[in-house]
Amino acid sequence: MSWQAVCAEEAVREGTPVLVTIGRREVGIIRHRETLHAVLNFCPHAGAPIARGRVESPVTADEPGGGVRVDADHPVLRCPWHHWEFDLATGASLCPIKPRIKVFPVRVQDGQVWIDA
Amino acid sequence: MHPLIDCDVHQPNPSRDQWLLHLAEPYRSEVARHGLRSISSGIRCEDGGNRWDLKEERNGLTLNDPGFYSEHLLNTYGHRFALLSGNNSPIAGIPDPDYVAAICSALNDFYVEQWLPQDERFLLAIKIPLQDPLLAVREIERFAGTKQVAAVSFFATANRIAFGERFYWPIYEACQRHNLPLHMHPSTTATIANAAMTPVGQAATYLESHVCMPQFYMAQVASMVLNGVFAKFDRLKVMLVEGGVCWLPHLLWRMDAEFKGLRHEAPFLKRMPSEYVREHVRLTTQPIEEPAKPEHLLQMFEMIHADEILMYASDFPHWDFDEPTKLPKALGETTLRRILHDNAAEFLGLPISPSAETASL
Repeated sequence: MSWQAVCAEEAVREGTPVLVTIGRREVGIIRHRETLHAVLNFCPHAGAPIARGRVESPVTADEPGGGVRVDADHPVLRCPWHHWEFDLATGASLCPIKPRIKVFPVRVQDGQVWIDA
Repeated sequence: MHPLIDCDVHQPNPSRDQWLLHLAEPYRSEVARHGLRSISSGIRCEDGGNRWDLKEERNGLTLNDPGFYSEHLLNTYGHRFALLSGNNSPIAGIPDPDYVAAICSALNDFYVEQWLPQDERFLLAIKIPLQDPLLAVREIERFAGTKQVAAVSFFATANRIAFGERFYWPIYEACQRHNLPLHMHPSTTATIANAAMTPVGQAATYLESHVCMPQFYMAQVASMVLNGVFAKFDRLKVMLVEGGVCWLPHLLWRMDAEFKGLRHEAPFLKRMPSEYVREHVRLTTQPIEEPAKPEHLLQMFEMIHADEILMYASDFPHWDFDEPTKLPKALGETTLRRILHDNAAEFLGLPISPSAETASL
């Protein structure tokens, strides 16, 4: 793992991920509001290019019959193929299963996006 | 011989003169004049439904006598307990909830008074009017804590509303509160009451209807799990009777697979759907599938964790009765004991270790 500049911050727009190649890996740089995320462009389920999925606010509920709500503070990345949901910040699945997506630390410096990959 | 708990034994409907005094008015007069109301799928239950070899009187007893069951089922096979599930035809699919509630009460009173005292090995699944959950709860409350009342009967194929719907939740709450599991059983000849008799329409024959029973159970289990019944009622227990077992792996795998992408439609589920089934749902053995290669059944048993979730049922005295020896010996002694006894003992809240006299049977 090492920090490296991968693209200009202004190149990353909501809904349009930037794909960069680092060694043999493809990484998607994804914007959600003011925050940038970097994810390995590979869904652990079926190998789909997950960075091409959608960023959404997950639906949650405390118990059956208790109503549902949207959790805008914890965005998820949903895979374009089978719509699995992964927490953008941690890579964990929202279902109680082990597979998770690989996420990388991101920082912005002098207009450049850096990731630790 | 393993100790035995039989999860599906059908005591007969009482004769009119045995039972009418238990029935409240105005229904007592109605039934006396016109007989029981009925709803028919237009298919005929296989030749009356019972084994042919049980038609004759034996030692002065007939199938109408509790003693017949004690002698020709419980003593014959070494039953420790037999769960009496009766017959759903007087109530399944009948639309009037007040009428059904009265019939249920009368049947329950009759069996509690006339059958249970005849043999301590008898347990009873009481009838409730699913058509009105509040009346159903009243009936559950009436018998909660009654000796030998061990379960609540659900007719599983003649309902108009899927079992996961909140309509039924008062029943589930009452069952959980009183630690009474649900005994779900097909209602073959009343299946017409269900808008989807099968997913593709009406079954033309008893054969077709009977073959399609697993489809009802697949839909009911999916409805209950995915609408959060077991997430809401975390001590509720359900046994699925007479619907086979080999469909279960498919349903579990499909629910889990679909949930991973569609979780947002059931966000109240905190565990994978299959986990709820493994904890809350039990299946009974009869009529067990009969694959051409017996080893295939063993593979299916491994897939469904049969040593945890499968329980023996004979379906006595019905025509498709299974003896306990129907189970493959290759399952091994430990698993066989669990299927024939321990799983049901745990499920029904009975002591696991049978008493000395039953262990020696």
